[in-house]
Amino acid sequence: MDGVLILLGWIGLFAPTALGAIGSIVGCARAGQAACGAMLDVESGYGRFVGLSALPSSQIIYGIVVMFSLQRTISADNGPGLFGIGVLCGLALMFSAMFQGACCASAINVSKHKPEIFGLSVAPAAIVEGFAVFAFIFALVLSGNIPA
Amino acid sequence: MSRSYHTLIASLPPLPKHFDVERVPISAPRLEERLKMLAEEDAQVVRQWTGFLNWDRQVLDRTDEDVAKGYHEMMARISNETLREMIEFRMDTRTIIAAVRRRRAGLPPPTGVGQWVEQIRGNYDHPEFRLQGRFGWIGKLDQALQSGEAMVAQRLLFEANYRNWARMAERFTFSFEAVLLYLARWEIIDRWTSRNESAGKLRFETMITETLGEYAHLFK
Repeated sequence: MDGVLILLGWIGLFAPTALGAIGSIVGCARAGQAACGAMLDVESGYGRFVGLSALPSSQIIYGIVVMFSLQRTISADNGPGLFGIGVLCGLALMFSAMFQGACCASAINVSKHKPEIFGLSVAPAAIVEGFAVFAFIFALVLSGNIPA
Repeated sequence: MSRSYHTLIASLPPLPKHFDVERVPISAPRLEERLKMLAEEDAQVVRQWTGFLNWDRQVLDRTDEDVAKGYHEMMARISNETLREMIEFRMDTRTIIAAVRRRRAGLPPPTGVGQWVEQIRGNYDHPEFRLQGRFGWIGKLDQALQSGEAMVAQRLLFEANYRNWARMAERFTFSFEAVLLYLARWEIIDRWTSRNESAGKLRFETMITETLGEYAHLFK
């Protein structure tokens, strides 16, 4: 039984990084593809499209920070706690990155011929980022309560 | 994992709210170039759609029965649900137009295809075949045909189709269906913007050739 709990602990420890990376890969790829398409259609403003398409990369950074905050000697006592916080935080980061990528792709698509709405069109992506930050901060807070 | 259409969709300029603009937002050769981004399987569906649009501008000697037969053969080959829905809508529209014209000429209801054939037959004496809730333009089309205003009738039909495609497009963002609906609206704008003298002359010559065959060039 102890072995299973320790295994769960290891999964929880790496989950924020792995799931955050998956989310960032999908999100950046979607937004990046839209940026490439927009570049075919307009004559300027390429930089901001590429910059916006990198927005979903923040989730992998949050994931790495959470992983370090969870890092400790894994035992049967702290394995379930590490698993719960790590996996749930990782899932939140993954989905937020994927859907933020979709928001960025839409923002790129609608603002390419209407540059004046660029700032406003980024707002949905920023709101999604806010939810990722919630998951990140409270994972850090709760990680302090897991036995070392 | 579903196929991604982000690059293609983002590379297409936005379409206007209304079809009656001066020029198409993207030229036909450039659009064709962009569509090369599609995978072969999707390109095949696009070819089916453009093939239908060409078929839709039918030759004059085709009977209603020929059209119905061609329609059923084509639908048997198409599996994409959105494309089927688009073709069905277009054919419903054609059936209604045929019914309005035939009634005006004192003829019985057309053979027609689609879901409204029986409704039209059962309500042939009603000015709008009791379809006014779904096709609000039937009465106006009838009036336009009565007064011989071909351009008004054409505009009405383009407007109805364009609005329908735009409404359907709201359900899709970066998907293949969005590409198909973009092409459907682009085609209407293209037809509208190319309604000029040379296009009319070409169409007239095509009709003459179709009607007279080898005698069309007798005096050339």
